[in-house]
Amino acid sequence: MQLQTASQVINFAVELEDKSAKLYEDLAEKFKQYKEVFLSFVKENKKNKLLVQRVYNEVVSDALETGFSFEDLGVDDYLIEINLAEDVSLPDVLKKALDIEAKIERFYLNAAKKSKSFLADVPRVFEKIGKKRDERKEKLKSLS
Amino acid sequence: MAVLEEPIKEPLVLKNYVDGEWIESKGELHDIVNPATCKVIARVPLSTPEEVNEAVEKAKKTYPEWRRTPPLARARCLFRLKEILEENFEEPSRIQTMEHGKTIDESRGETRRGIENVEVATGMPSLMMGYNLEDIATGIDEHLIRQPLGVFCCIAPFNFPFMVPLWFAPYAVASGNCIVVKPSPRDPISQVKLAELVDEAGFPPGVWSIVHGGGEVAQALLEHPDIKGACFVGSTPVAKEIYKKCGEVGKRVIAQGGAKNFIVVMPDANLEKTIPALMTSFFGNTGQRCLSGTNAIVVGRNDVFYKNFLEAFVDAASKIKVGYGLDESVQMGPLQSKGSKKRVLGFIEKGIKEGARIILDGRKTKITGDYPETCFLNPAVFEEVTVDMTIAKEEIFGPVANIMRAKDLDEAIRMVHTNPYGNAASIFTSNGKFAREFQYRVECGDIGINIGIAAPMAFFPFSGMKDSFFGILHGQGKEAIRFFTESKVVIQRWW
Repeated sequence: MQLQTASQVINFAVELEDKSAKLYEDLAEKFKQYKEVFLSFVKENKKNKLLVQRVYNEVVSDALETGFSFEDLGVDDYLIEINLAEDVSLPDVLKKALDIEAKIERFYLNAAKKSKSFLADVPRVFEKIGKKRDERKEKLKSLS
Repeated sequence: MAVLEEPIKEPLVLKNYVDGEWIESKGELHDIVNPATCKVIARVPLSTPEEVNEAVEKAKKTYPEWRRTPPLARARCLFRLKEILEENFEEPSRIQTMEHGKTIDESRGETRRGIENVEVATGMPSLMMGYNLEDIATGIDEHLIRQPLGVFCCIAPFNFPFMVPLWFAPYAVASGNCIVVKPSPRDPISQVKLAELVDEAGFPPGVWSIVHGGGEVAQALLEHPDIKGACFVGSTPVAKEIYKKCGEVGKRVIAQGGAKNFIVVMPDANLEKTIPALMTSFFGNTGQRCLSGTNAIVVGRNDVFYKNFLEAFVDAASKIKVGYGLDESVQMGPLQSKGSKKRVLGFIEKGIKEGARIILDGRKTKITGDYPETCFLNPAVFEEVTVDMTIAKEEIFGPVANIMRAKDLDEAIRMVHTNPYGNAASIFTSNGKFAREFQYRVECGDIGINIGIAAPMAFFPFSGMKDSFFGILHGQGKEAIRFFTESKVVIQRWW
């Protein structure tokens, strides 16, 4: 599927943050030894979601190319699946989380590139959130 | 992607908002139809002359106390309104899509630009300040005070049902006046929603009122002796008429009319960035805005550049996804009514008859989703258009693009000036000299340089010239404050 309008892209980003938050809520429940780390990710996801929604709502204008900013932004590569098997092991879960974070990072960075004609604020926020994913990936690696 | 949830589930019966109360009108009710689904979403009354009179009388009664309310306290009402609008951002946006047809991105953009006017008007305690000079003669001082005038009216158009009244109302009330808004009878629901939020913000009853109706209500407002001034946005013939009427009786007036906006594309333009901007300009809001691009002039004798431009333009236009604006993937919604579509079809036929070549025929509709074709058209593109053709001269107010050629910038500017309108014009170029020449010479109020929709922000006036504007001061920003206030000069000497 291709995303073309700003509304679609923002909602997709929000969906990724929601799913990611849900994953870490589940992990915090399942692997109590890392509860704090996972819950800090959840908090960050919520902050990211708010940031993305806010930047869109504050810069959206009917006079800008909101409907035509994201040509060729396919999302199939960025779809994530967060369900966990009942008996899943910590190493498997961390691997899955790393894959998910890598996908989300790629989405943000690619969307930032595709949204250059939209007001600069949106790609700037996307880039910031995308790059911050690196820190999260490092934290996840340190748990394994 | 799913279609977003509709905020209106059952047809509403709209009421007038007068003196802080929701009052049922005795006037005849008319259906408001969602142009995408063709379902009735509300019924709007055509208010009676007595109801108009009542609204103005109540506003007049409120005025003396509101005028005496300190500007800071008045501004606080607007701060509260701004907060409430942010909290409720999505609902009026979706309502606009339902009543007008525009896409959800466009509706949210409209909501945002409306809120920006509220934000600017919150600065009224500073913005309304006068000025003074000591010793204009020895021992004599002079100062200027800006004072409100009383009750104003706003007669709003259908194309921006939520935003346009906000070009005026926040400045009117923040400067101490009262205002009666008459929304377009074609899509008045988002104004009702706005009035609900105004009520929640705690404005005193009578400061901000809504009276529904059509031409007769507009007439009654304009003729009312207690209306000090009128703000109108709509067609040029009506704008002219209102300007004349207000002039006769000494009312202040801002009358914004129609438009026919040219977009000049120089051979050095960056096509990759220009094309998306032109898609928004020509087909955004389904071409129903007074800042829409309608005539594109490609400059130069370079046939290769012209061919590349044309191919890219038509390719992008043909890919525009048309459908219900609450479907987030949709890039262009329907026209606002069946009548609007009929009007646009008439222009397309006239274009063909007068010799323009249709290279993308928007009459062949392709709609995303299962919706009746009633109000839908796809983008249409004409080539070989000349400035004397009807489609190049008259405002179509629909998704129709005319492509023309000019040998150089001088010729392009001459072509722009053949048109009686002067709302907006844009140039796409990489050359500063071309841009400067264009900005300097073109007789239009709003100029875009590598901008497809030259929409002034709330802190700048929404300009316009020639047959696109009748009046002196424009809406928005400092000019609106001048419009809504009288300049009183005091000269004083003390012994």
